[in-house]
Amino acid sequence: MTNCRNDSIVRGCQPGGLSRREWLSRSGMGLGLAGLASVLSADGMLPSARADDGYANPMAPKQPHFPGRAKHVIHLFMNGGPSHLDTFDPKPALEKYAGQNLPMENLRTERRTGAAFPSPFKFQRYGQSGIEVSEIFPRVAESIDEIALVRSMHADVPNHEPSLMLMNCGESRLVRPSMGSWVTFGLGTENQNLPGFIAMCPGGYPIKETENWQSAFLPGVYQGTYIDTRHTDLEKLIQNIRNDQVSPGDQRRQLDLLAQLNRRHLDQRGADAALEARIHAFELAYRMQTEAAEAFDVSREPRHILDMYGPGVQARQILIARRLVERGVRYVQLWHGEGQPWDNHDDIEENHRRLAGQCDQAIGALLKDLKQRGMLDETLVIWGGEFGRTPTVELPQPGANAGKVNGRDHNHYGFTVWLAGGGVKGGQVYGATDEFGFKAVDNPVHVHDLQATILHLLGFDHTRLTYRHAGRDFRLTDVHGEVVEALLA
Amino acid sequence: MSSPHGRVAMNMHRRFPFVALAVFGGLAGLVRQAAADETPRPVSAQQAEFFESKVRPLFANRCQECHGSDVQEAGLRLDAPPMAIERAGDPVIVPGDPGQSRLIEVVRYQTDVQMPPDGKLSDEEVAALVAWVDMGAPWPAGSAAHVETMDERMARARAEHWAFRPVAAREPPSVKDAGWCANPIDAFVLARLEAQDLTPSPPADRRTLLRRATFDVVGLPPSYDQVQAFLNDKTPDAFERAVDRLLASPQYGERWGRHWLDVARYADTKGYVFTQERRYPFSYTYRDYVVRAFNEDLPWDRFILEQLAADQLDLGEDNRALAAMGFLTLGRRFMFNTQDIIDDRIDVVSRGLMGLTVSCARCHDHKFDPVPTADYYSLYGVFASSVEPDTEPLIGQAENSEAYAQYERELNERERAFTEFRDVKYRQLRRELRARAGDYLLQVAREQTPQAAGDEAMLSLGPGELRPQLVRRWREFIEQSAADRPAVFGPWHAFAALEPDEFAAKASQIAAGLPAKAAAMETNRLVAEALAGQPPPSMLDVARLYGELLARVDRMWDEALEQASASGAAVDRLEDPAAEELRQVLYGRGSPAVVPVERAQRLFARDVRDQLTALRRKVEELKVDSPAAPPRAMALVDAPSPTDPQVFIRGNAGRPGETVPRQFLAVLSPADRRPFQQGSGRLELARAIASPENPLTARVLVNRVWLHHFGEPLVETASDFGLRSEPPTHPELLDYLAATFVEQGWSLKKLHRLIMLSSTYQQASSERAEAAAVDPENRLLWRMNRRRLEFEPIRDSYLAAADRLDPAMGGRPVDLWARPFSPRRTIYAFIDRQDLPGILRNFDFANPDVSNDERPRTTVPQQALFAMNSPFVLEQVRAMAARQEVAGQSDPEHRVQALYRLALARPAEPPEVELALRFVAEQPQDGTTKLDPWEMLAQVLLSTNEFIFVD
Repeated sequence: MTNCRNDSIVRGCQPGGLSRREWLSRSGMGLGLAGLASVLSADGMLPSARADDGYANPMAPKQPHFPGRAKHVIHLFMNGGPSHLDTFDPKPALEKYAGQNLPMENLRTERRTGAAFPSPFKFQRYGQSGIEVSEIFPRVAESIDEIALVRSMHADVPNHEPSLMLMNCGESRLVRPSMGSWVTFGLGTENQNLPGFIAMCPGGYPIKETENWQSAFLPGVYQGTYIDTRHTDLEKLIQNIRNDQVSPGDQRRQLDLLAQLNRRHLDQRGADAALEARIHAFELAYRMQTEAAEAFDVSREPRHILDMYGPGVQARQILIARRLVERGVRYVQLWHGEGQPWDNHDDIEENHRRLAGQCDQAIGALLKDLKQRGMLDETLVIWGGEFGRTPTVELPQPGANAGKVNGRDHNHYGFTVWLAGGGVKGGQVYGATDEFGFKAVDNPVHVHDLQATILHLLGFDHTRLTYRHAGRDFRLTDVHGEVVEALLA
Repeated sequence: MSSPHGRVAMNMHRRFPFVALAVFGGLAGLVRQAAADETPRPVSAQQAEFFESKVRPLFANRCQECHGSDVQEAGLRLDAPPMAIERAGDPVIVPGDPGQSRLIEVVRYQTDVQMPPDGKLSDEEVAALVAWVDMGAPWPAGSAAHVETMDERMARARAEHWAFRPVAAREPPSVKDAGWCANPIDAFVLARLEAQDLTPSPPADRRTLLRRATFDVVGLPPSYDQVQAFLNDKTPDAFERAVDRLLASPQYGERWGRHWLDVARYADTKGYVFTQERRYPFSYTYRDYVVRAFNEDLPWDRFILEQLAADQLDLGEDNRALAAMGFLTLGRRFMFNTQDIIDDRIDVVSRGLMGLTVSCARCHDHKFDPVPTADYYSLYGVFASSVEPDTEPLIGQAENSEAYAQYERELNERERAFTEFRDVKYRQLRRELRARAGDYLLQVAREQTPQAAGDEAMLSLGPGELRPQLVRRWREFIEQSAADRPAVFGPWHAFAALEPDEFAAKASQIAAGLPAKAAAMETNRLVAEALAGQPPPSMLDVARLYGELLARVDRMWDEALEQASASGAAVDRLEDPAAEELRQVLYGRGSPAVVPVERAQRLFARDVRDQLTALRRKVEELKVDSPAAPPRAMALVDAPSPTDPQVFIRGNAGRPGETVPRQFLAVLSPADRRPFQQGSGRLELARAIASPENPLTARVLVNRVWLHHFGEPLVETASDFGLRSEPPTHPELLDYLAATFVEQGWSLKKLHRLIMLSSTYQQASSERAEAAAVDPENRLLWRMNRRRLEFEPIRDSYLAAADRLDPAMGGRPVDLWARPFSPRRTIYAFIDRQDLPGILRNFDFANPDVSNDERPRTTVPQQALFAMNSPFVLEQVRAMAARQEVAGQSDPEHRVQALYRLALARPAEPPEVELALRFVAEQPQDGTTKLDPWEMLAQVLLSTNEFIFVD
């Protein structure tokens, strides 16, 4: 259950916008006093904050436990559960049993499944590594030598909600902070004019909604900022980012007057870091208006880049992700769409082809674009869903798959997630599912292991990135998780 | 502080520097020591350091739950150096030789025995153990030979930990500057200041003082006129009267009620519920109850009783207090997982009321505090024995109006639609369950692999499939039937006992004997006939014959019912007793084909369930949306028969352990603790918490009150007074306040008064370098803390400045962000815990998922963006500038003064007037600005630090 390790709290970390007192009593991060100094000097955040009782920006950049290879994360979340068998984990043995029962008992998943269901898609080898990838991800496959395929992922249950929570927050049911919240809590962010953790999903929320990027008991500033990328209008993307009543020039005049009044107020009271922090926050906010507008405006990209990513909302949000990371945003999570688009209990051929078609070109472009800009080394790209799908066909039932027998059920016993960039050793396949792709058998990687590895790439010992809440120290991986060393470059 | 696993006892009766161990993993591995080498090896400082930092914590956290002082699985202890030294092969630890050490083998998961069983140690941890064994397994002399038991920990906590010791009435200490002390609080504070050679700050100026007091008590700014009146009131008790006036104001309950709602993790939604109605229709009745309780100064002990057990109190005519139990019920619903819901309730009760982190003991004894797992489940039993009634009880009177009548009609209509549909489906389901009894018997006969308990909940199956939970019930039914229904199922068991290879031969013998048994009334006649006529070739055929027999009897019953209904006669049994005996298999008590309607939900097919959810949602929607829906209480009542809780081993409901009584926490109970006697025990629990004898309750409360008056608590962790919490900065003061609070009838208003009339509270907040050098965090209270307002008073202040604040109290929650913007106070906002608006998060609003001790205080640019750009703020600055007091002034300087009075309740000083006049005189930068200069100035004033901070 929860992490009840009794390691003493390492003192001397961030003062944050929380009072330093609170940081000291809560943060279990092993950051030295150097971390404190770096905050106070970062980006001129707090020109005269006192180191001993000051307030500072809780999002100021911080040093992790050890130098991390990755500085940013782009998590491409294929919500609903993409089939590993039709994308990155070919299983020719299924052909042999097509339409017949497998020579093994079907594992118990959410619904009943029947005969073996070979992938309708062809696989071919790509790159130096010669790794096989399905025909529906040809552009991603072009970068296969940058990619580490983890074909032996496994989770705990075959249901969306708990599996989403496990993948994002490390715990199936209870309210725990999301990985993006932990990472921004631990690292802060590099651009104070933009949110540090952004979750994008076109059209509305995924299943489990905002819980996927919740900060839980971490301070609210670490919660993911949700952006509905269906919109192109900036006001709809970030709350209060624009003022349609006061022009920028007049607002500048207002802020100048405000600064004078606030300065007078401060002078009458002596030094106060909290007062100064708020004076500064107005200047940051003023800059944020232009910076955010710019960051989200993909039309500023040159033609050839736009062409490279291709058309559609997926391309736009993936390109926005690159622009955000380029500007120092720490953690971007991209959801494929509202609800659970990849949940193809029926018509999997048609649906998976369509869904992959919506994002393949843009993901491929992202990997190349990051590489050509020299950003891939420091940007960890993660692709995957909350689980995979069964190698056996889902049997029809009312209210579920519309009587069709051409889809796959959820499968948490074995699925694929891939990682690229950010200190990942590419061009490799790690682990394997069984002959038919039902279950991870070779070097199984639990979701907690994946999370431990991701935190490691970012410079954290996952057992030491803790937060004191309700009398105990909590962490993303609870009492579990082992770093998968083979994935590290 | 002692180490979490107990204090180090020095009774080193064994001085061997190795681990000594007993049998390990149930295998033959016996302990060994370093053989003939009897000389204890010295342990170097580095070795000791290594052991204490890497090895002991590992043993403590990962091994000792099963191999420690309380439990010694396989006779092995890993909490102490050698307890027993035996000769044998396969030693657990061979000092200096990890390769020969069984310990290392099992933690590497290399063999059949893998330890710890719940998850492999990390590579780092394994490496530490290897290194330790390699260096000779040094166990530092003098270190924990004794590990504290839970009983010892309790005794120590009671004797030594400040929070568990009785609250002692304290005499104020004597101080040098007695003249400064307005009441005993000041003596406690001043004594500590003087000990550090510090002096208190001078009193705040009167304008500041009134503003501080007003925000503190009612969460709103004082008006200019109120400030002026106070400045002009030269009587000595002017401030006292001001405090009394504020405490008597109904806005007091809105301010302090909200503080309590933080603790109560208040929200108006259930969290994620998939397609069900996500809003609570009546959460607001709890919020209104809290506001009223504070305004009426309901004694705190009574407040606790009502929140936990109002249903068991004599409320007289006015049953509005039933809504108090929202404290328990309006938490997140965790997809309706009972254990998590109860855990949430245990947490809010124990942390919220007593500052004890009891829910840490859900899976194992509390690691640090004197709370054994058994105590967690004692409380669990209290809540597991309490249920929410199907319909929430009405509170107050339903209004006698046409709107209400129409609501009632509509509600009945929607409920009828739900019930009718469900009943139809339920009848179909029951018919199907009977019709398929034979299939289930076949399945039982096949002896399919049993499914793990609890797995089926999320599954849904088509009509053609067998439901695993029913297969299980039939299997259990058959198992029981040997004893319960030998006449019907005796033959079944006789056949089932046959080995497959002898089945054919022996089955006919059994079959041949059946007619005689039937004649002797030992076996059901119809069963005997069916089986004897044609001896079954296999067990599957036995099952098939039973199935056919049951189907035949069910048809007979259908016909009997038809005939009865045609002739108008009543029928309650089949005439043939043998047939009736078989019919009971399908209709009788304990039949797996009988499923009560409330449990049928899980057996419906997915599409039926979806339709049911949609119909139920229509009912719930009406309750939330209809303005005519009368208020109801989110109450609890006791279940008809209370549950004796079982400990869930490691928190897993699938692994029930010992049964424990429903009773209060041991550490807070007398030695002769007795189980709760009345129903669920909720009222007894409430009384134990609200008791003056409880050392925590009053201390926790006065600390929370202090926190909100000063911005900092006396005890740092306001919801955790456990052994690891920091001691209070002023322990005697805390006890003085707690004792006085109880003495004065648990009255909050008296407590506020006491605090606010102290000189400590009335100090100025200005910086003083010489004091800051000694006490930079102001823990000793040499000044008042300056505080940023929370979101609620900020938004309310905007409305007040605009003269738009609606004084209406209570009622359904309002959407703060829908246009036109609501003028209601912020406490009445609709709080969606699933989708908390970004602006609330940015202003550190309380997390509605867990009980909050203290809101974080961050300063982020999004807060500034709200002041600069939000349509809400822009609307208020327009309204403010349009107020007659402002717009009616033709002289610009008078206008500036008017704006200052409305924004900051004070006159503008000459330099401020000058800055303002210069600002309004400047030409707008371009034509797109729609605010006029006065509106822009108003916005600036409402954005100042002076507006947002309280000195």
